[in-house]
Amino acid sequence: MAPEGTAPRAVLACGEVRTCLLPAGQALDSRAAAQLLRLRADERVLVSERPNLYGLSPDTLTGVDCRLPSSNGARVRAVGTVAARAALTEGRVLQTSAYFRVPATGPDHRRPWGQYLVRPGVVEPFGRLPREAVAEGLLDGGRHGELDVGLIADGMQTRLLRHPLLDHRPPLRSRPTRLRWVALPARDGDGPSIERFTLAEDALRTVRLRVPEGVRSADIAGLCDDLALHDWLLTTVVRILDGIRLGPGEPWPRPGPAGDLPVVVGALRPAVDHLLHLWMPRARVSGELAHLWAALEERPGFTRQWLTLVQRVRDQLALHAIPPSYREVEPRP
Amino acid sequence: MFVFAASDKGGTGRSVTSANLAYQRALGGDHVAYVDFDFGSPTAAAVFDVPSAMRGTRERGLHSYLEGEVTEPAGIDIWRHTEHSVLRARQNQAGRLVLYPGDIGGGEFATGEEALERCVDLLLRLNSEFDLVVVDLSAGRSYAVDLVLAATAHPRTRHVPYRWLVFHRWTHQHVIAAAGLVHHENGIVRSGVDRGHDEETLQGSIRFVRAAVPDPESPLWSQVSHAQQAWMQSCDKALRRLAADQRVGDSVVLGTVPLEPILQWREQLITEDDVLSTQIANKETLEALEEIARRLTDDSHWGRP
Repeated sequence: MAPEGTAPRAVLACGEVRTCLLPAGQALDSRAAAQLLRLRADERVLVSERPNLYGLSPDTLTGVDCRLPSSNGARVRAVGTVAARAALTEGRVLQTSAYFRVPATGPDHRRPWGQYLVRPGVVEPFGRLPREAVAEGLLDGGRHGELDVGLIADGMQTRLLRHPLLDHRPPLRSRPTRLRWVALPARDGDGPSIERFTLAEDALRTVRLRVPEGVRSADIAGLCDDLALHDWLLTTVVRILDGIRLGPGEPWPRPGPAGDLPVVVGALRPAVDHLLHLWMPRARVSGELAHLWAALEERPGFTRQWLTLVQRVRDQLALHAIPPSYREVEPRP
Repeated sequence: MFVFAASDKGGTGRSVTSANLAYQRALGGDHVAYVDFDFGSPTAAAVFDVPSAMRGTRERGLHSYLEGEVTEPAGIDIWRHTEHSVLRARQNQAGRLVLYPGDIGGGEFATGEEALERCVDLLLRLNSEFDLVVVDLSAGRSYAVDLVLAATAHPRTRHVPYRWLVFHRWTHQHVIAAAGLVHHENGIVRSGVDRGHDEETLQGSIRFVRAAVPDPESPLWSQVSHAQQAWMQSCDKALRRLAADQRVGDSVVLGTVPLEPILQWREQLITEDDVLSTQIANKETLEALEEIARRLTDDSHWGRP
């Protein structure tokens, strides 16, 4: 991990990313995306259109002075700044991501703020950092009063969702997800690796990574944003497909003009309009981390699952192009 | 869609009935949030049978959220945390059912711009996640009622459909009280208009649910004497006339829940099991709940009265 700028060598990086469907009837175009993501007047929003439309806000900093969570109850006070940013993919999926890195040791007193501000995204421990315990503590989530980067990501999300550009007419119901990650240094000579990727309850995912020295924490956050985006897409399309009831059984009436649409078409159409074109793993992952995707493609097989889901959506829609009088006949063995 | 459950008086079965509606909708495949704005009342934990899960939410409930002490209110996944054996065996194809509890022991609290903004944030987030958001409001013209009237008049919620259910018992007093809650000078409609609602639209989104209604035709009362039967029928007729005069007549009633001991005494969800195997609940009650649940989103029941 990096000697980034003037900061001392970091031995732990950590972050959390929140992913949700942008609650708007129409996806935002690049201009509107730039407007939404303008979190600071003094810095530009990065918007790129290849290989897909993507906007990235400037980083904002949040000053923190609190205890770090730890799995063994060690009390580690830490001071510094947490970096946070927001990204919008294809004007449709909003992600807010907060992250920081921690050096192995720090002074055992608080320094003037100016000295922390020149090292954005660095949180210094008082004394020595019990690295392993803090890494596990961060993944488990802190208790009240301990540093919780998720809250910083959440605060940014709340702020963005209040933007007047959003009409709050989401084309489909979907569940936001949280992905929490920690990165520890790789053993000498080893490349980056994913040690653990778990789906926990309550839409929480946790990732534990090893990365070689020299990898920027912003790039690790970028990789985790990309994992979170694709994990959210899988989760969301699975949920849509789970929701279509096959066979007889009266579904609840739907209010409004969409009420007369065949149920399956009504449920799947938003996936076609808004989600199926978003799958593009590694589109913005830095070169040195991109191959981590290969492991996930092998097991559990993200893209394999995605292609199956897409095929299911298309098959269902094809089936519903057949008039009901032919379609509804129960097949006989 | 938001559904706000209100009542003028306590004891109307508002909480238990609206919880049953949420449960029915989830069984039918909707993802449903049940938001407990009945501040200070611990009913929801009992209705959904989640006492131990509630203990973990002591300081992360809706009060703490609205007052800005926590940024996300606790949500309890009912299928996962309920201690009710029938509910735990969540039905295949059911949607999610999540309870957002109030803080234990939290009463009503001061209103303010920030609390309103946070309430809007919460409702909008739930709206993007759930098909149906049932909000249980404390009885009477409470702070909770004002808060959601202001929240649904807020420019940010302009596209989110909402409907109101006003629960009342089928008695002279309760009919008048329910009519007052909606139509009187400081009732829901007037207060809503003061906060920016369009009178006709708001009026058109309010329906009444008659609770604990003894149906003279029901087999339950088939053993009573002729005199009793005639008396019940004439009372029922008089009440209908009163209701119509008070503008809470049949045209604005979404449904009627029969008098049901299990709703009154146990205050729990009525499952198919209660009707079919243990037979402690009446089939008519379950059917009435299913029908009201269906009508919540059936536009033909929500035309202008």
